[in-house]
Amino acid sequence: MLSRHVLKRAVGCSNAPARRAFATEVVPPAASPPAPTPPRSKKADKARISTAIILNRSPIITKSQTPFETAFYSYQARIRRALSNPFPHDFYFKQGSLLQTRFNMEERTREKQAFGPSFLPPEEVDAAKAEADKAAVEQLAQQEGEGEELAPRTHEADLKNDVKSLDRQGQRNLYLLLLAEENGKQVWRFPQGGVEKGDLLHQAAQKDLFAECGDHMDTWIVGRKPIGIYKPSPATPEEPQNNVFFFKGHIMAGQVRVDGKSIKDFAWLTKEEVGEKVEKDYWEVVKDILSDF
Amino acid sequence: MMACQIRRDQEISHQIDSQHPATMSFLRPASSSSKAAFRNTTAIRHYAGKPDTSLGDPKRENLRRALYPSNIRNRPTPVGTWRPDVARALQRAIPSVQAHETIERAWLLHKRHVRKQREAELSRKFEKMREAMDELYKLDSQLYLQANRADDPRAKSAQEMEMAKKLKVSEVRTMDARIPGLFPRELKVPTDTPSRTGWNYDYKPFQRPL
Repeated sequence: MLSRHVLKRAVGCSNAPARRAFATEVVPPAASPPAPTPPRSKKADKARISTAIILNRSPIITKSQTPFETAFYSYQARIRRALSNPFPHDFYFKQGSLLQTRFNMEERTREKQAFGPSFLPPEEVDAAKAEADKAAVEQLAQQEGEGEELAPRTHEADLKNDVKSLDRQGQRNLYLLLLAEENGKQVWRFPQGGVEKGDLLHQAAQKDLFAECGDHMDTWIVGRKPIGIYKPSPATPEEPQNNVFFFKGHIMAGQVRVDGKSIKDFAWLTKEEVGEKVEKDYWEVVKDILSDF
Repeated sequence: MMACQIRRDQEISHQIDSQHPATMSFLRPASSSSKAAFRNTTAIRHYAGKPDTSLGDPKRENLRRALYPSNIRNRPTPVGTWRPDVARALQRAIPSVQAHETIERAWLLHKRHVRKQREAELSRKFEKMREAMDELYKLDSQLYLQANRADDPRAKSAQEMEMAKKLKVSEVRTMDARIPGLFPRELKVPTDTPSRTGWNYDYKPFQRPL
């Protein structure tokens, strides 16, 4: 599998990872590169550190209301309307103007909706005048135009169930999953890679993400701390224990481009869909890291 | 008895009128008919009168009525300081006291469920993070130390300064816009409807310092 180390030697990466300057640092920045690790015990010698990235596309649209919430909000709106002062339309609109007529018509429908059709006293306006008003208001609506069309909340990617699309499931959190080929088997997992010498974990995570998914994405890794750890049981007892540290990232623009050699496919999935695709022991670790909705 | 008194006063005033017109003011009793007679005799002049507000621009009149609504509660005022059908509207809106209280309790229960679910999810995530940091501490103390450091948003790293020398001015600005340790401004708040253009798949890559 083409790891980032191989790629680096092939391409000749020029960006040396720099150490950040800290205002409150005790040791002056120029003096010490990362200190050499203290002599390890035999057990620790066997440990390998890798980083993985849980790349999240945050919700684009607000969550839909449950029927109970809708009912409660409309109930509260009715109470507010009953208790609040009537709108001073004499003050805000010019007397006898078309806008005032339109507002009063709309307000009558709103009051009827809130309190029932028999709540308001019947209008004293004669039929001819009412008809004329209605026609004038309709003409005004036509003249003003409908305004800009709003995009629908379900995208066509939802209808086609296109798992590569980043417009699907606008309300949910989507996570990037890669189909990787390891030892002849195809497994779905999060983007993963090793840690080079001198790299900090979150820097290694960023590099691994670009190595496996291409850099045509605007991503941001959240903070410097890992959010989870996965310790797969090694295939043979001689192999060192691999510790995979997960980091959270956000994608703001762009799309994944897989090379097709070690990474065959990718998908943007919700939490349940990730659970269906991923191995059991992997899922046990990952299920508490992902967001429910 | 009052009526007799008044009639006697009127007779007296008539007699006084006819006999001595000049001294009438001292002797005339204070009765209503005599007051009416007094008003009808002189003309009233208004010098500081109110102008007619029905002509011209009603804006001033509207403002005056809005700022100084009347106290008389016979119809809804322009600024709505009083609504006559409050009780009737409330009767339509609220089914009964018990129903209202039940709805209130149901809503608080719903909010509690949502809150508990959110708190449980957060505590699970935090537990995973704590576990990861504990493992990192056992594995590599230097990496652990670096992970625990906070990013100073004001500090520019050596790599950033190196890149600033090589890049164009506009590219330096793009680089400076993403401040390490702070949230990027491209992380958008969810809206009720998605954007008409949808997701931006055509993102031009920009090499940022790690």
